Amino acid sequence: MKLAGLVICIIAIAATACLHPSGVEDGMIDCNLTLIGDCEKVLSLGEIRAMPSCEGRGGFFTTIGIVNGPFKCRGVPLEDLCDLVGGINATDTVWISAHDGYLMVFTRDQVRGGFIAYDPATMREISHQELEMILMYEQDGSLLSKDTGGPLRVAIVGDCELLTEGHYWVQWVDRIEINK
Amino acid sequence: MKATQILVLVVLAAVIVMAAHLLQEQEKTKLKVVYAGSLVVPFAEIEKRFESQHPGVDLQMEGHGSIQAIRHVTDLHDHVDVVVVADETLIPDMMYPDYADWYMRFATNRMTIAYTEESRYAGVINESNWYRILQRPGVTVGLSNPMLDACGYRTMMVAQLAEVYYDNQAIFDDLIACNFDPGVSVERVGSVSVVFVPEILEPRTEKIVIRGGSVQLLALLDLGEIDYAFMYKSMAEQHGLRYLELPAEIDLGSPEHEDSYEEVVIRLGFRRFTSVGTDRVGKPIFYAMTIPKNAPHPKLVAEFVEFMVSEEGLRVLRDTGQPTVLPAADNPEKMPDRLKRRVLTIRIFVPLIPCFLSTPALRRADEMFDVDDISHPPGMPWWL
Repeated sequence: MKLAGLVICIIAIAATACLHPSGVEDGMIDCNLTLIGDCEKVLSLGEIRAMPSCEGRGGFFTTIGIVNGPFKCRGVPLEDLCDLVGGINATDTVWISAHDGYLMVFTRDQVRGGFIAYDPATMREISHQELEMILMYEQDGSLLSKDTGGPLRVAIVGDCELLTEGHYWVQWVDRIEINK
Repeated sequence: MKATQILVLVVLAAVIVMAAHLLQEQEKTKLKVVYAGSLVVPFAEIEKRFESQHPGVDLQMEGHGSIQAIRHVTDLHDHVDVVVVADETLIPDMMYPDYADWYMRFATNRMTIAYTEESRYAGVINESNWYRILQRPGVTVGLSNPMLDACGYRTMMVAQLAEVYYDNQAIFDDLIACNFDPGVSVERVGSVSVVFVPEILEPRTEKIVIRGGSVQLLALLDLGEIDYAFMYKSMAEQHGLRYLELPAEIDLGSPEHEDSYEEVVIRLGFRRFTSVGTDRVGKPIFYAMTIPKNAPHPKLVAEFVEFMVSEEGLRVLRDTGQPTVLPAADNPEKMPDRLKRRVLTIRIFVPLIPCFLSTPALRRADEMFDVDDISHPPGMPWWL
């Protein structure tokens, strides 16, 4: 009896270890990202996570100034995703949309990090940092949940603690389209 | 009694007291209030007052842009008890008939130009020269992004209306259009001016500074990095800024000028929300609220709405810089009974406010209620 209990415990621990820190298996997350540029590609979360990733710190503030973060954010640089479908030219715009019907349009400069950053302590604009716009899938070491805008969310990150305007942080991203 | 027994009794008593306290906390009913961000200051006080009078209620206040506030009900399917927006037309446009079938207007606002004592030409700017002051070399002007903030597209409406009011066809171009690349263009369709906002709005001069919302502009004004910012009167007052009142013909705060406001349409460069189109038509600014059909606590939240439009609630708004109006309802027959009484009281004043009679909401209210019992003091302004 004791042996059976021990075996069950070991199996449970092993199963837990196979899960991501958020407690969700990658394969269980239903997520397809459609990329449209010169051609069209559809990527699963697993394929996105297999791409070279980057990590940085970033947070955002809402319309009324409520601060969220900064978080440790991990994801794929937006420009790398755009490169998979032909890349962005100087005059192109990148339309990022979500399954809830939200859409935000970005310039190439923004995709390359051209945002105004704010100090989380003072909410003052801070001198331009090296920023990066990423498609985040992991926040503070856990896969994004639906409540945190996951499985895929836009994030703007840098090397230090900083905030950007919240409307850029598109939640539940399912489509990225490059418009010529 | 042994010391250990006493200790056990003390611990037990403490546990019971804590459990009772926790139970009491858990028993509080949570009412979710999703409201327009420009109401953040008055709503902090409203929350405090209502909760003190209703100890069993915990108001969960969430401030958003008005469209986003509605989307919490219609697109995100959150359980929201009351939605409060800074543009009353959004409720019928986005929520009727599936998510709501009435709304009540209760507050208003006006567009102003906020500044500080340090702003260039602060001593000389006035109602008749402001557009020339803002164009002077070295003067910087802050705008909210019209793609992201209602105050932003209302700023463009003000500049467009100013051309007619001051009989100067260059105001919009000199102040707004020529400072962006790609530019903001205007087409005349009959008597209506349609302003086309590009999908990306990037200033090409240092005259204009554009940010996502008024919160950021406030910080820039405070630091002296901009001289002037177009802003709601309530925000300027709440943050202790000086502000220039604009003529009623262009400030979007006067229902008697509704017809001329409607002659400006802002067409946004992209559809940020699939649930709402790209055109914004000039209208007097009216704040309104409704209880969604799927509100989890419809009876209790009706008490909150009633408090909002009570004498005390409206006074809180005014005391915190938010101009109010006599509450008026669209489809009042569909409101909860306790709120109908409020509209009836309000309705009594309507015959003294001819400008309201032209609006569909009040015309409907006219048909609903007896208007003989008029007790509103003659001469009292409609905005209280």
